[in-house]
Amino acid sequence: MKILVCIDDTDNIDSRGTGELASMLAADIEDHGWGTCEPVTRHQMLVHPDIAYTSHNSAMCFGAEIDESRLGELTAHAREFLVRESASGSDPGLCIVPLDGLSETDDLITFGKKAKQVVIAKEEAYALAERIGVHLSEHGGTGIGVIGALAGTGLRLTGNDGRFRGHFKIETESDQVTPAEIMRQTHVEVVKSLDGDVLNENETIVLGKKVKSVLQDGKSTLLVYNDPEGDCWRTCTKQQLKVY
Amino acid sequence: MLWKTNKNGNKEFLGGQESRHLAERAALECDMFVADDEDECVSDEPRSCYNCRYRRWTATAFECLKT
Ligand code: SF4
Repeated sequence: MKILVCIDDTDNIDSRGTGELASMLAADIEDHGWGTCEPVTRHQMLVHPDIAYTSHNSAMCFGAEIDESRLGELTAHAREFLVRESASGSDPGLCIVPLDGLSETDDLITFGKKAKQVVIAKEEAYALAERIGVHLSEHGGTGIGVIGALAGTGLRLTGNDGRFRGHFKIETESDQVTPAEIMRQTHVEVVKSLDGDVLNENETIVLGKKVKSVLQDGKSTLLVYNDPEGDCWRTCTKQQLKVY
Repeated sequence: MLWKTNKNGNKEFLGGQESRHLAERAALECDMFVADDEDECVSDEPRSCYNCRYRRWTATAFECLKT
C-alpha cells in the first residue's frame, strides 16, 4: 500500500533540522524491511506572528510503498522515533496517510493549501484527520506540529508544492551535462525551463553550485533558466528556487 | 541602518527578504553566523543572514534570535 508520512516542528534553533529526521525515519522504514521510501519534500507553511515556529515553519513529507500488514508497527515506530529524536522545546507532529481508498483527497489538499494562507487551530487538524481516517499525533510541547504535518501531506498530494530535500552531486568531467545524464544519476524525472518547456534529453546544461529539484506535476523536476549571455541552460539558483 | 528593534524586542532586518547583498554584508559583519540546514538556505551567498540558523522569518523580513 502507498502511504504519505509527514513530520513538523521537531527542531529548535540549535538542533538537527526536521528534514534530517524525515530522512532518518525513511531510512528506518527501509532498514526494517517494511517498504521503500521516496525522497523527502519540504513544504512551506504560513509565516505569521500568531504562529509559533522555530525559524522557518516548514514540514517534511515522503511517500512510501509498504507491506500493509506493517502499517501498525511502522506507525508505532514513527511515534517513538519522534519522541526520542525531536529537540527539547519543540512541538512535534506526525501524520501518516494511507492513500489506497482515501476518498477525501480534496479535503486534505484544501487543508494543505489553507495552511499556507491562514492561521489554523490544532483542533481543525484533528477534526479533519478523524473524519478522513488518517493518523495524526503530537509528541511533546504544545503539539502544534500536527497542523503542518497534516498540511504537508495535502501539499505533497497536490504534486505541485515544495522542494526536494538535499542537493545532487552529479559526476561529470566538466560543469556541463545533459538532462539524460542528470536523470540517470539522480531521482530527477524531468528537466524543465522556468517557463515550463521540457528540455530534450541531449541539450546542454551548465551546473550551478547546488543542484536541487522541486515537485511539479507529481514529478521530481529540475528547473533551468536560459542564460542569454552564454546562450545556454543553467540550473536554477537558490534564490530562484526559494518560492517553491 | 540594517536593523530595527521589533515588538518582540528582537532585532529585525530592515532589508526585507530580497536584499541579498545587505543580508550578506550583515552576516559578514557578524561573528555568530551559523549556516542553517541546506534545505532552509535560500541565498546563493553562503554567508548571509538569509542562510543563518538564527534568522527567524517574519512575514516581510526576518528577526535575529542571537543579537
Ligand atoms: S541572523 Fe543574526 S546571528 Fe545570524 S548572521 Fe545575521 S545577525 Fe548574525
